[in-house]
Amino acid sequence: MNAIEIKNLYKTYKGAGFPAVDNLSVNIPQGEIFGLLGPNGAGKTTIINILCGLRSFDEGEVKVCGFSLPKQLKKIKRQIGVVPQDIALYPSLTAYENLKIFGGIFGLKKKALENRINELLSFFGLEQHKHRHIETYSGGMKRRINLIAGLLHNPEILFLDEPTVGVDVQSKTLILENLKDINRRGSTLIYTSHYMEEAEMLCTQVAFIDEGKLICQGKPQELIRQSKNCDSLEALYLFLTGKKLRD
Amino acid sequence: MNKLNSLIYKDFLLLIRDRAGLCLMFLMPMLLVLIMTYLQDSTFNSINETRIPLLLVNNDNDSLGITIEKQIEESAIFSISHDINGIKPDRKTLEKAVAKGDFMIGILIPENATNQIRKNVKRYVISAFNGQNISLDSDSVEVEIFIDPVTKSSFRNTLMSTLREYAVRTESDFLFREITSEVNKLTPVPIADIRLSRNQVIIREQYASMKERQAIPNSVQHNIPAWSMFAIFFIAISLAGNIIKEREEGSFTRLQTMPCPSGLYILGKIITYMCVCLLQLVTIFLMGMYLFPLLGLPALVIEGNYWLLLIMGACSAMAAIGYGVAIGKIAATHQQAAIFASVSVVILAAIGGIWIPVFVMPQPMQLLSAVSPLNWGLEGFYDLFFRNGNLGSILPECIFSLAFFIICIFVVFIKNKQYE
Repeated sequence: MNAIEIKNLYKTYKGAGFPAVDNLSVNIPQGEIFGLLGPNGAGKTTIINILCGLRSFDEGEVKVCGFSLPKQLKKIKRQIGVVPQDIALYPSLTAYENLKIFGGIFGLKKKALENRINELLSFFGLEQHKHRHIETYSGGMKRRINLIAGLLHNPEILFLDEPTVGVDVQSKTLILENLKDINRRGSTLIYTSHYMEEAEMLCTQVAFIDEGKLICQGKPQELIRQSKNCDSLEALYLFLTGKKLRD
Repeated sequence: MNKLNSLIYKDFLLLIRDRAGLCLMFLMPMLLVLIMTYLQDSTFNSINETRIPLLLVNNDNDSLGITIEKQIEESAIFSISHDINGIKPDRKTLEKAVAKGDFMIGILIPENATNQIRKNVKRYVISAFNGQNISLDSDSVEVEIFIDPVTKSSFRNTLMSTLREYAVRTESDFLFREITSEVNKLTPVPIADIRLSRNQVIIREQYASMKERQAIPNSVQHNIPAWSMFAIFFIAISLAGNIIKEREEGSFTRLQTMPCPSGLYILGKIITYMCVCLLQLVTIFLMGMYLFPLLGLPALVIEGNYWLLLIMGACSAMAAIGYGVAIGKIAATHQQAAIFASVSVVILAAIGGIWIPVFVMPQPMQLLSAVSPLNWGLEGFYDLFFRNGNLGSILPECIFSLAFFIICIFVVFIKNKQYE
């Protein structure tokens, strides 16, 4: 069964002369760690925003967890978790307060929520810092709390937009290991990154997107093997998208 | 903890962690109320206490001169002098003293003024009884008044009407006396002096209201509701800032990806900020009731139904919250929202009669004041404070305020649609 089904998706922003997503069709099977890769402005964030219900689309069919967009957006929102690239937390509140608020909005009950918060804080090594204000956290700690906020309700699909930007190697390793663990427990991860090495190590499937179009999709090792001159995902990425600057 | 509770909890925490915002919402309006009331109260008192210097040269020393002098003294508006350095001035010196600014008003009652009036009246009455028509205007008495050009027209008018009133009184007294004398010459049985009663028309001054009332309009009764309205609308700055901050920090984006309808998000803000507005209202009212008397200011007297005050306050708060949410949604940056919200609230306050009462404004501004939500709230409070109004009398203001809120929220939903 597919976690996500996208068929002939089009999206053009008002005033833009070209589509941000151009006739895109992708199926993402359940249980995958799916890497959405491409240069800046390729349309990755637009696709993620459409899948999360943050943006509307012009044409096409989109199904998330078997529910159609935009009609069944409410149901979809209960099944997904989002980890935005920016630290989407309240800096003047403590980590515990932030998580309590987001968990409450997901409808988690008091005791269950408290247990879940403590479980995740411990999982990401932040339990002893839970009563500190977010603004006093280091970059790595903020990233981890940002991730926890998307995991509180145990989502079927977790969208991760560059979850390791600006963190040290230790935090990055912990985050990636924990993401693999979360995937093993049954969640589908949709992941975007500019770190190809990280994507190669983490993703079970990747799709290269450029100018809103799907270039290719498959398991990283298979894609590398199929291309004659590439020995890594980064080399393949450059081969497919070129070296021309995009912004 | 349900979704709405979580949203209220979030907004409450954000509010109490923002100390600058709290100061803006509570301390600043309290200071404004205190300063403005104190200023207006002392100005009002100084007008009553400061007397206008007046130089009165009474060369008559008879009925007219004495009456005028007595009445001017009783008016308590003027500080009367009769000489300059112990010397009774002549006409020229009097004019010069006023022109120099030593006195704001100079009055010269000519010699034999009463006698002249008496003679004129007598001549007039005798002629009338002999069947002849003559005018009383001949040989008129001229009381001269010299006025410093800087003298307020209101004082000038008060003085002129006082002088005219007592000149007419003196004249009519003589007239009746002469008529009595002439009638007595003609009739065998003498009649008593005809005297004009001064009590035929009694002018009673009272404040109009729907029921019996005790509250007297003063600077406190005006300023407390006026600045409470200003405070309520000033939360638009904090509210708009809060919305933009959530958007800029990305937490709003996270909320959008959650099962949290935008209506619920706004409802969370409405409830939180409604509590803030009502708390502001209660704080400022309590300040007027208990702190002001300790500072030598009149105490705020609240009459009538407290629930009606609460209803009016809540409706105004809804209008202010709607305005804040709309600014927060429309403005692109925190700075933009802060500048627009503060300037627009000040403008709405100015045209709404917060600083200057609407009735002293020019006609176009008076018409314009009707579009200010602050004016609706203020008028509602005035209805309850001064006119002993009931629910029916504040209903139009409540409806306007709620309609304004609905329009603002409608704009927010349109903006949300455009963003998608």
